[in-house]
Amino acid sequence: MSVEQNTDLIPLKVHGVLVDPNTDTQIVVLRDETNTDVLPIWVGTAEGASIRLAMEGLVPPRPMSHDLITSLTNHLGMTITHIVVTDVKNNTYYATIHLTSKGIERTVDARPSDAIALALRAKSPIFVTHDVLKRRGGENLEAWLAKLDPQQF
Amino acid sequence: MITQMNVRGLLFDPYNNAYIVILRDEQNSDMLPIWVGKSEASAISFALESITPPRPMTHDLMKSILDNVDAKVLSAVVTDLKDNTYFAKIHLWYGDSEYSIDSRPSDAIALALRTEAPIFTTEEVLRKQNSEELERWLENLKPEDFGKLDT
Repeated sequence: MSVEQNTDLIPLKVHGVLVDPNTDTQIVVLRDETNTDVLPIWVGTAEGASIRLAMEGLVPPRPMSHDLITSLTNHLGMTITHIVVTDVKNNTYYATIHLTSKGIERTVDARPSDAIALALRAKSPIFVTHDVLKRRGGENLEAWLAKLDPQQF
Repeated sequence: MITQMNVRGLLFDPYNNAYIVILRDEQNSDMLPIWVGKSEASAISFALESITPPRPMTHDLMKSILDNVDAKVLSAVVTDLKDNTYFAKIHLWYGDSEYSIDSRPSDAIALALRTEAPIFTTEEVLRKQNSEELERWLENLKPEDFGKLDT
């Protein structure tokens, strides 16, 4: 990928996984490097647990689904170069996983939860487009985040 | 010796709050019940009912990555049973080589159903399953149950 194409992408770090007590789902909180922008993404219980395991560097005794995908890509000589949160429509986020296989770059459509779970395991960077970050969450986001228990972070 | 197994259904186990995938051989003489988690059970049930969710679920993504590089799932094999935990392997064909990858049976089955790959197990696993089942049954017997044999 050329530098030119990269200018619209903002690198994010996974800041934490919170439990949303209102909906019994989990929220992956992504932040940019300067801590000015926040991107919260709602994910399922299994995906949230998988992301948390990867953040803590825990390796379960039997491979979980994302460990299996990591193992499949490693065995087949593929590398996950990066992932990108590409779009948001009706509160649903979209992502792409960028892989190289035999020197050829490929992109695969994914839910952000799967993409993030795989990026953390592959230690690959996570990006979001400038456009998605602008359109995210809406104005109440900061107020909503402020209400969350800081201990959850 | 390996035996081909078919997924016969998915049951809910209320005692363990888990799901059981029932695999049976073609003659219906042997059965493997495999306990799986909720998200793995839903991944298997979507495939059994040929439901395509609006966004790719984890095993759809797994298939999509393999399709993208023309890797083919040859089979899923339940290879071992130790302390009530089943072990499996996914056999793949990629480039000009075969690969076999360690997996939980739930993931292997969810992927095999999506790629229409056969599911196998070994006679050894079937034999162990039968003996573990017998042990569990014996453990659950109460002394009164033995008494009944005399009457």
